[in-house]
Order: sequence, then C-alpha cells, then structure tokens
Amino acid sequence: MVALIKIADVSFSYKASDSPNLNRVNLQIESGEFVLVCGPTGSGKSTLLKVINGLAPHFTGGKFKGSIKLDEIEIASKLPHELSDKIGFVNQQPESAFVADTVIDELAYGLEQLGVAPAEMRVRIEQIAAQLGIEKLLHQPLGFLSGGQQQRVAIAAALAAGQKVLLLDEPTSALDPQAALEIVKTLKRLSSELGITVLLAEHRIERVVEQVDSVIVVHGDGSVTKGAAREQFNDYRMVPPVIELSQKLELLPLATTAAEARNGIGERLFEIRPRLPIAENAAKDWALKINELSVRYQDEIALQPFTATVNQAQITAIMGPNGSGKTSLLWALQGSGLRSTGTAITPWGDCASMPTDERLSVVAMVPQKASDLLFLNSLALELEESDRFAKVSPATTASLFEKLAGRIDPAIHPRDLSSGQQLALVLAIQLVKGAKILLLDEPTRGLDYAAKQQLADQLIKLRQMGKCIVLASHDVEFVALVADEVIQLAAGQMVFSGKTEIALGAESDLATQVAQICNQPGLLTVAQVVLS
Amino acid sequence: MAALKASNFEPATWWVLGICLAFASGMTSNPLILISTIAFCVAVILIAREPAPWSQSLKFYLGLSAFILLTRVAFRIVFNYSAPADDTLLQLPALEINLGLGGSISMLGNVSAASLGAAFADGLRLSAIILSIGLANTLANPRKLLKSTPAALYEIASAISVAINLAPQLIESLQRVRRARSLRGRSKGLGALAGTVIPVLEDTIDHSLALAASMDARGFGRRGTMSRFEQTLARLMSLGSLLATSMAIYLFLVNGQLQLLALALGLLAVAFAAIAVRITSRKSNRTRLIKANWQSQDFAVMAFGGVAIFGAIMHWWLP
Repeated sequence: MVALIKIADVSFSYKASDSPNLNRVNLQIESGEFVLVCGPTGSGKSTLLKVINGLAPHFTGGKFKGSIKLDEIEIASKLPHELSDKIGFVNQQPESAFVADTVIDELAYGLEQLGVAPAEMRVRIEQIAAQLGIEKLLHQPLGFLSGGQQQRVAIAAALAAGQKVLLLDEPTSALDPQAALEIVKTLKRLSSELGITVLLAEHRIERVVEQVDSVIVVHGDGSVTKGAAREQFNDYRMVPPVIELSQKLELLPLATTAAEARNGIGERLFEIRPRLPIAENAAKDWALKINELSVRYQDEIALQPFTATVNQAQITAIMGPNGSGKTSLLWALQGSGLRSTGTAITPWGDCASMPTDERLSVVAMVPQKASDLLFLNSLALELEESDRFAKVSPATTASLFEKLAGRIDPAIHPRDLSSGQQLALVLAIQLVKGAKILLLDEPTRGLDYAAKQQLADQLIKLRQMGKCIVLASHDVEFVALVADEVIQLAAGQMVFSGKTEIALGAESDLATQVAQICNQPGLLTVAQVVLS
Repeated sequence: MAALKASNFEPATWWVLGICLAFASGMTSNPLILISTIAFCVAVILIAREPAPWSQSLKFYLGLSAFILLTRVAFRIVFNYSAPADDTLLQLPALEINLGLGGSISMLGNVSAASLGAAFADGLRLSAIILSIGLANTLANPRKLLKSTPAALYEIASAISVAINLAPQLIESLQRVRRARSLRGRSKGLGALAGTVIPVLEDTIDHSLALAASMDARGFGRRGTMSRFEQTLARLMSLGSLLATSMAIYLFLVNGQLQLLALALGLLAVAFAAIAVRITSRKSNRTRLIKANWQSQDFAVMAFGGVAIFGAIMHWWLP
C-alpha cells in the first residue's frame, strides 16, 4: 500500500532557541488508517497535527524544517487555508471554534470558502450530516447542543468538503465517557467505511486504544515513533490501567484491550493489598451533614433533594455524566452557590451563612479551571500573596506546595507550570487558610497519567491529614485511585451512594478496567495486585 | 404577514432603518419629533428583539443616551454663555475664573430657558441617533449580516462579526472568574483587578486564537484569481470609502445640516465602495449557501426609514 502522508525529516521548534518540539521525525500514514497520537501533556501531540495542516508554523509561528507529502504532493510550505479542501481540523473545544450560529451555516462555512455552488453544497451537507447522525439538528442553534453533538457538528464541518484527512486535537477531553465512546466509534466508522485517514491526539488512551489501527507516540524529547499498539506500549509508562496491568504481569504478547487481557489472565486470582491506606483519624467524625439539599434555577431543576453525611479523613467522589448536577452540588456545599431548599452543615457552622473570610477557613474549593485563581507574575509572588492573605507566617504556603509538588523554581511564571503543578499550587493556596473540607470540580481534566497519579498521591496525603475531600469527576480510573465512597448522580437525582468497591466493581456500569478484567471482588486498581 | 420579530427580516433591513432614523434625527432639533423617534426605537426593539446575545444591549443604549443628555445639559449650566436676561430660568452665583490664558472664563451665572432648551434638544438629538444605531445593532444578527455583505467587505465584516461574537464569551468568562475569585478571598486594590482581568484576558485571547485557527484551517482567506494589483486596489477603495463615509458623517453632525462637502464625500464613498465591490465580486471564489432573501416586509420597513428622511429633508428645506 502506498502511504498517503509521508513525513520526512521534519523538525519544528516554537522558538529558534528552544530544543525542538519535533526532532527529525519520519512517519508514513496510509490511506484510511485510524491513528492514535499520544504522549504526555506538552510533549508536542498537537504540534505534530498542526505541522501537517500548516497551522504550525504559519499560524503559531516557529521554525520548520523537512518535507511533508500528501498524495505525493509536497505540502510543507502551504498555508492552512490552501489545504482546507484536503485536510479537516477539529480542536479541543468545538464551541470556541464555531464560526456560525446554526448547524447548517456551520457546515456550509468551509464549502462557501471553497466556492462550491449552493445546490451542490446542500447535497454535501445532507450527506455528511447523515454520516454523523446530525441530520435532525441542521436548523438548531449551536449553543443548544450537548457537548457530544457539538463535537459531531465540528467533525462534519471539517469533512463537508470531502476532505480525506481528518486531524483531531483531543476532541473528547470535555466529554463524559459515554459521549466520548460514541465519538470514537464514529471516527472508526469514518475511517473504515469512507476511507478517511484519521489522526487523533488523545491522552486518555483507554478511550480509543481498542478502535485504532496504529499508535504514534510523541515522546516529549522531540522523537516520535509509530507502530502497532502492542509494540508501542511494551515498555511505555504513560498507559491506561489495562496495559499497565499487562506490563506488570508481563503478559506476552502485551494485551492492549480488556478482552485480550482477560484471555491472558484467565481465571487467575490475585493476592490484593488494600486500595487506600488506613486513615489515621479512624474515629470518623462527620464533616458535612447534607439534608434535603436541592438546587433549582428558574425553570430547571439542577439537583433534586439530596441527603447524605460525609466524614472527615475521607474522600468522596460525586460521579455522573455532564449536566447531572455535580457542579451545582459542589457550589451549594461550598456555601456561595444557590441552595433552593435544605441544609448542609459542618461541625464548624453553616458555610452559607458565614462571611467569606470565615468560610474560607472551613471550606476550600478548586474550580474546574484551577488557573482562574492564579494571577501574579511568579510562583514566589503567588505564594507570598497567599501567606499574607491567610495571615500565616511566611513560607507556610511554600512548604505546603513543596510537600504536594516537590521543589520548583520560585521565579517561574504560574502559567508555565504544568496543569498538574498549577493544580497543586491552587490546592496549597486554598488549604493554607486551614480549611477542613476540600471540594474539587473535575480535577483531572487535561491531566496525563503521570499527573493524575501525582494528584491522587496528594489527595491521599491530605486525607491522612484528616481533611474531608469531595470531588466531582467522571474519571472512573482516577476515582478508583482515591475515593472511599462514591455518590452517583443522574439528571439531578442520587442513584447510588456507597463503597467505591461496589460503585466501580465488576458488576457496575462504571467498572474500572482492572475490575472488568479480573472480576475479583475488591480489586479495582493495578497497584492493588501483589505479585507473588 | 410574518410576526414582527427581528429574525423574520434581513439584518440589513434593520441597518437601513437605523441609519435612516439616525440621519433624520440628525437633521431636526424639534424635541417632540426626537422624543417620538426615541420612543419608536425603544418600542421596536422591545417588540422585535429575540433572546440572542446581541439583543440584550437596550439597557446599555438607554443608559448611554441618558448619560449624554444629562452631560449636555449639565455642561450648558456650568459653562454658561452670556444669556439674555429676560427669560432667566435659574439664578446661580457666577464664577469668574482666570487661568491666565488671556481673559477669564465665566461659569454658572444666570441660565436662560432658551439656552437650556437648546442644550436639551441637542442632547435629545444625540440620544435619538444613538438609539437608532442601537436599534440596528440589537436587531440585526451580526452573523447573518455577514452573509449579505458584499465580497469586498467580507474580511472587514468577519472581523467585526468575530469581535461581536467574543462579547458574550467575555461576559461568560468574567462571571466564571469572578465566581472563582470569591473562592480565594478578596485581595485589595490592584491585585483584585488583576485577579479578574488576567484570567479573563487569557481566556479571550485563547478563544480568539482557537477561532482564528479554525477559520484558517477551514479555508478563510482563500483567494480567487485576483492579481495582487486588484487586491490592493480593492482594499484601498474599501478603506477610502470608509474614510469618506466617516468624514461625511462627521461634517454632517458638526453642522447639523446638509452641506455640499458632506454630500460630495457621501457620493465619493458610494463610488469607492461600488468599485471595490465590483472588483472583488467578479474575482471572488466564495459562494453563499443562503442568499439574502428580501421580502415585501423588508421593503416596507426600509420605506418607512425613507419616509423619515424625506420628512426631515422637507422640514429642513421648507422653513
């Protein structure tokens, strides 16, 4: 088979002085291939995609060397809009890239730029809408669509002009697992039925590894390799639990899917260690008593009356798809969010009736975009500001931050910290005021496997210090690493409350990969497996 | 007949009506006519507006108008001209300030009803113009308007449309960041401002860059067979047309009446625009899925604007 895209000796760096983000990369991608592009955050996954359609360097700036051929035609020097009829591009947040306000206008945009005649435009729009299952949405305003539907529209818009190559930069990062799975299956169908070549950058490998034909790993040191999933992941660290387990058990050949791993393991029963360390504060004093709490915005019920008790030295995960009321619940618990009915009290008082300063000494919250809380020019300034505001002795925040994230150059700009480090900084700033309750909203968004593990370690340290931690998340594997208890919401209603072992066990819809493979009660994570 | 809702009309219709009303208001100083124009604009906005982000700015235009009206009157009271004594309305202590700039400045003093009335009418005129433009801005869907702009102005129009689209996103991130800020507690002074402004700015820049990259990757900026000379000529003509229009409007507003120069500049602007449109439309490669669809109701609304201008000209011409 002839390679459709040939990347030869490509180097790229954003600044001439920096070490190259891509260093002498050679890749060949076949027509109709579905390729996963993975690597740690900041390694250059999206740079690789942008180099192919010319956004790097023409849009981002930077220094490019080498040759890229599409169908034997050199495209390396072409501008993105000159390639728009051949290569479609979809980015992380579709809503920030929409040009029009209704679905049909959005689909028409690219065709209009290409000068396609209106009659033919209608035919193409109908075809691509049918392919993506959005034909009923054509006249809807884009703002009314769910995240998954918006992403479908973005994909349809990128392919409407008959583009044969589709580049996607983490298209599922804002979606819940169900919506993400549907998108990935659609991409698989586009590649196998329509012969579209799909390059998908994604750090949640478990969402896609079963569907893709091959895997490109961007290693972060400039080198890039391509091969079958099995070879690529043999000794690679940033992998989902299924592969981590296969590596740990030294399965041969390496299992990359749950089914393969199940075959490799068979009926083996493992000796397992406890998932979480025993909390030192074993008395289990309560931290939050929630009684009939509900949240209702004008004509929409975000949270039905909700009753629960949450203990100190315990991590509770609130799970559920997007729009199920997780964020509303967190803000209501924090005290500044809307509470339509009911109460949520702490042993230190009712957060809703406290003045802000006092509330901050009881409850700390980290919002979805943690960097919203950072605004100074260096790490040192942020740490000092935090000490001053919390009226604690100098360097208190700094030492807490160091405990969480290790030693980091204090002169660095907070925006240059990795997302995991930013999160640790915000955690330190929030906790230094002495809060006993910590609320986190989707803390793992945008984190790679290493950063997630680091965050899990940090949260367990805080749990050992006696903090009550409540986190909203739909990241099953992360919840399995940290949570004592799980509360599950669906459409604003509590549908489950109990032990994590049951919520994420083999019998559940939310089973972790390890639970699916081993089907052994109490076994949820790779770290639990003891090798004899 | 379709309901009187903004989206049932071509967006350009609202602009034609708005510009006609603004033009007519600019030519009269009759408070009754001006007040009814303002009332008309507010009524039309209230009836026809729809729950779209760009339609929520009536309060802003009303506030701006009130502010301008009050400032105009207040200025007239403070920086009073020597008023004829016979119709004194307010007797305020006169201040003579000598700044050493050759002569003293007199402030306050006797304020005549006539001068106050004139200031009021002046303020009303500006308010009416603002609300007329406000009417166009709140009722015309900027994205749909983009579709009916001629190819020559496409790039400018899409820049404007993108800017307009950023506004609701800006408000959204402002709300999110302010909410998040309350989680860290309030710092005082500059810190508090930076704490809100920096994350919002970051958001906005990210958003704009993502949008620009998406537009580029989807073919925005593709050129037809235009030569470089034709491109430059078309751009110069567009720019010239914009300049001439602004100058004509300025002259018109300064003098409050039609002048030969303003008229000539207006005609020049139209001529420039026509040339630019002709060059680009002939060579452009772009097509439109949905063409502007002018219906009788659009013409009716525009005719109404025409009548307003006709009335104003007649009023000005026949003393």
